[in-house]
Amino acid sequence: MESLNTILLHPDRRIGADMERWRKAGGGQALARAAVDPAAVREAIREADLRGLGGSGFPVWRKWDAVAAESPKPDKYLVVNGNEDEPGTYKDRLLLEETPHQVIEGALVAALATGANRVVFYVNPDLALSLAALKTAIELWQASELLDLASTALGRPLELTLLPGSGHYIGGEETAAMEWIEGRFPFPRGKPPYPAQVGVHGCPTLINNVETLAQVSHIVAHGAEWFRSLGKAPGTGTKLYSLSGDVLYPAVYELPMGTTLRELIFVHGGGLLSGKPLKAVFTGGPSCTLLAPVDLDVALDFDSLRARGGSLGTGAMIVISEGTGIVKRVAEYMRFFAHSSCGQCMSCKTGTATMSLLLDRIDTGRGTAADLATLENLCAMLPGTGRCHLITGVVQLLDSSFRHFKHEYRQALR
Amino acid sequence: MNMNNGIPLAQASALYRPDADIGSPPVLADPQALLNAFHPDYLGSSVTKLAVGANAGDSCQRELAGLLQAEAIIDEADLAGAPVTDIDVLVIGGGGAGCAAALAAAERGARVLLVTKLRLGDSNTVMAEGGIQVAIEPDDSIQRHIEDTLRGGHDIGNPELVAAMAEDGPDVIRWLIRAGMQFEQTASGDLHTRRAGGMNAARIVHCRDYTGLEMMRVLRESVIQHRAIEVWEQSPAVELLSNEDGRKCVGAVFKSLIDGRFRMVRTHSVILATGGVGRLHLNGFPTSNHLGATGDGLVLAYRIGACLRDLDSFQYHPTGLVYPPHLSGKLVTEGVRAAGAWMLNAAGQRFVDELLPRDIVSAAILRECQEGRCVRVDDGRVGVWLDTPRLERSQPGLLERQFPKLLARFRVSGVDPRHDPLLIHPTLHYQNGGVVIDVNGATTVPGLYAVGEVAGGIHGRNRIMGNALLEIISFGRRAGVAATAQRDRGPKKVTLEHVNRARRDLTLAGIPLTQAAPQILPDYAAKGIWNR
Amino acid sequence: MRAAYCTLNFFDFSHLTKTPMTTDGDNPQTINLTINGVAVAASAAMTLVEAAWHGGVPRVTAVSCLESVCGSCRVLLRRGKEVTVNLACQTFVEDGLEAVFLPPQPPPLHHYEISDFTDGWNIQARFHEIFPEASHCRNCHGCVLSCPKGIDVEGAIALAAAGHFRDAGEAFLECVMCELCDSACPELIAPAHVGLFCRRVTAHFHLRPPNLIYRLEEQRKEKMGLTGASHDEHE
Repeated sequence: MESLNTILLHPDRRIGADMERWRKAGGGQALARAAVDPAAVREAIREADLRGLGGSGFPVWRKWDAVAAESPKPDKYLVVNGNEDEPGTYKDRLLLEETPHQVIEGALVAALATGANRVVFYVNPDLALSLAALKTAIELWQASELLDLASTALGRPLELTLLPGSGHYIGGEETAAMEWIEGRFPFPRGKPPYPAQVGVHGCPTLINNVETLAQVSHIVAHGAEWFRSLGKAPGTGTKLYSLSGDVLYPAVYELPMGTTLRELIFVHGGGLLSGKPLKAVFTGGPSCTLLAPVDLDVALDFDSLRARGGSLGTGAMIVISEGTGIVKRVAEYMRFFAHSSCGQCMSCKTGTATMSLLLDRIDTGRGTAADLATLENLCAMLPGTGRCHLITGVVQLLDSSFRHFKHEYRQALR
Repeated sequence: MNMNNGIPLAQASALYRPDADIGSPPVLADPQALLNAFHPDYLGSSVTKLAVGANAGDSCQRELAGLLQAEAIIDEADLAGAPVTDIDVLVIGGGGAGCAAALAAAERGARVLLVTKLRLGDSNTVMAEGGIQVAIEPDDSIQRHIEDTLRGGHDIGNPELVAAMAEDGPDVIRWLIRAGMQFEQTASGDLHTRRAGGMNAARIVHCRDYTGLEMMRVLRESVIQHRAIEVWEQSPAVELLSNEDGRKCVGAVFKSLIDGRFRMVRTHSVILATGGVGRLHLNGFPTSNHLGATGDGLVLAYRIGACLRDLDSFQYHPTGLVYPPHLSGKLVTEGVRAAGAWMLNAAGQRFVDELLPRDIVSAAILRECQEGRCVRVDDGRVGVWLDTPRLERSQPGLLERQFPKLLARFRVSGVDPRHDPLLIHPTLHYQNGGVVIDVNGATTVPGLYAVGEVAGGIHGRNRIMGNALLEIISFGRRAGVAATAQRDRGPKKVTLEHVNRARRDLTLAGIPLTQAAPQILPDYAAKGIWNR
Repeated sequence: MRAAYCTLNFFDFSHLTKTPMTTDGDNPQTINLTINGVAVAASAAMTLVEAAWHGGVPRVTAVSCLESVCGSCRVLLRRGKEVTVNLACQTFVEDGLEAVFLPPQPPPLHHYEISDFTDGWNIQARFHEIFPEASHCRNCHGCVLSCPKGIDVEGAIALAAAGHFRDAGEAFLECVMCELCDSACPELIAPAHVGLFCRRVTAHFHLRPPNLIYRLEEQRKEKMGLTGASHDEHE
């Protein structure tokens, strides 16, 4: 198991808010380097091919370069996105609760690399333990000379703020987070303009996921080549996979980016409960595509999955065995998304409400062929029509369940 | 049909002047002659005699007769495996009459099932614009209301029914207000009343020109919220059920538009509130009616042996829209003429007193059209002008204040009745006759009631404005109350015996069983509706 | 006796297949759109309902009045990247339009019977018990965007939540209870039913017309035999 929990979840780092232990284990090196040469930091992130690990898979260096190129108006923001709320994803809360300092260091490295002077730690308000650990950790940093070092390097004071989110799922979307930070309901704003140009209070803003920033401190400390070597090409570095569902050992597993689904489920996860055969895996959790048993040997990295017509998302893998009904499960998720729709866009709100209604009917023996046809028509009509990605992701989920399990839907009709 | 009749629309529009000098219309010397010559009811070939049933030998509109003497659409075998529901009172139809009946029955403690062909509230009621008659002004009386109604109906209405309805009037309005319906008020708080064609006093109370919508949404909400009323939607009635000798109504059979399945309902009392026949497009006319108005209740009542009346009398409302095409046949309320709007032929002249009874005004319009003094749209349809711009000029802001529904319908089409005259033509609007009932809405078939447009005997040969909305509530409630008094041990058998009897009668009369009824939906809207 | 056939030649529904209002002899325009996944070739000036019938789209049964007053023909529409909702009978065909007829809204979760209301001083309190969500509007404007009648639903809900039932109800005069706003509300306010409640309590508590009540009184007294024929009953 020499590939498991080697970096972010290394036992030496899972020490909570104890800053002294964290420094003894090597914490702070990355910040020292970033203070000296911010441009080199950006170069390292590019070389390492670090991707957005909150679900986008977007090359991190592009966002950083965009923000670095802007001038403060009069500030620049870094938002650490810890509003984790996706079903089946629980890696960020773990990092915040058990390794807050590596997250904070990564954030400050990012701030220095892009010129951000205000850092907002934006966390799901229901994550009580994570919030408590982060609060303590931030206070320690505010009393620490490391922060002074960073402020000096930046040329202005670095301000750290902890802001619990609104409790709405949609608050995890980048532009929605910005709305909440500005004191309003977290409605996604739609892009353009992009946060790099117009973000919090009109200032250039970088938003990165907690796991992404945790990786940053290690890339900068040990170099891009080292990071690349940890992954299985084309993947680089490690990834936190949130494994849940019908497996023996549901947990967060840090493994090389590009580990196969088979290895994750059967080597680390202990296989399926009661020895039942694998039926499907909801990836990304769950507003992405389904994987089927035929996909067991696919590499779980962004590019390999995209080539397969799927997406890695947050790296959540919700495993279901034969014995779970797809219609019911999809109906459950659809109810979650219908509940979470913020209401701005007709396509998303009315679309998810309608799909939820129809799935519910089908699942409870009241659905007709016409209802199934309406669902298919909506899948054709709705992608790409919302201000954010929610409705597109929801349709992906439904579509992909049709592709693999249409017969189950038909059987459920009356 | 002469497809080149009249002046093209663009040309007629160019000729039109809202400020032209126009005199009075010619006096109509012989109204009956006009009706005889031009009104569809008087067209010899549109009427036939029924050969079978309780009204054998009576006159009946030809196409309707075809449906009344048609084969049933189900057989007993279709009911195998059909679930059965037992209920105290069954109401068939989800418009104003059906809801009033259901509420009245439920108020009396009955468990009620209301089954409707489409959505609850899909009806002619919801479209009604003019208002509801009630004799509440000091210079008016219940007796005057009765007389106006009988006279408007050419004196063949049943005086007992008319009296019951007119007397119920004030209490009906109170009941509606208590249920939450708003009406226009004067500055002193009185209900605002309007006079309309065939009336000797101002007697119409209304809510803008949305009276039907206001009424229907209140009734619909009351029914939905009522704990003792269950509602089935998208469930057309396809047949009634009878007892062992086929002479008593004991329930009905429904076929769901959702899942195509049959469901049977057994009950003490069936209240038919199925509305009108406009979507049969009798005599080839367009209609103001909603899509479900296909006379289903009339067919079912006749088949089980109920007596009907005045089946050769239908109201063609003078002002049905011709343009834009998607509003073809849709109503412009008589209230617009009552407010002073004139009708002009293509030559820009008035041709009849706009406030004469509807049948006469319609006949006059048909005369203008057939004699070429009409305006023609591209696809050959014709009409005459309803001069709303002149009305707006004489009373600025009137249309917006009192007729918002009229304006609203045109918003999406770019036509503005304040500036553009409306092209109109008579439209099949109301079934004057129907199932014979007593003052409780009971038909001649035990266990079967009929209320609202499907029932007959109130309006004679011509309904006057505002009595339809009164009738549905008045008789709806009467039947709902009377239905709850029926308590016996139920039938020995629940059968389709009446269907067999009807088949026998039709065969022996030599009528081919090639047509099936009820119609459910007009052919153009019925594609694949059962294909679930 | 003259024949009096309908002068409209309506019988074959052919008016839908002709192009009205072109006086310069253009060729009839064919509009291609999709309804419920079925490709339809329609004529200009057709509504979506007419196009659905014309194109043989099966199972379209949520249609009734054809003049946008019954609220049944709810459709979801896509034009390019934009998705809206509307009533099919007041939406005209457009090239490339995609439309889907929506299922009806489930019955409201808010229960009240107007006959239970006895005290006009108590309406505000009762309102918040029945419609607690109405005070939690998040101003997403979904209801306003969804209304096919152009009602300022969001503003009217704010009025209702503040106890201005008459004014809130007046804003809903043209509401046809299509319940598209109910589908659009993420806070589950059921705005159409709030609006109707406002109209109903206004009538129920405040409408006491003297002329109507006078006549009711006359009838009541007559029934009890307290008066003979009164002076204004002579005919």
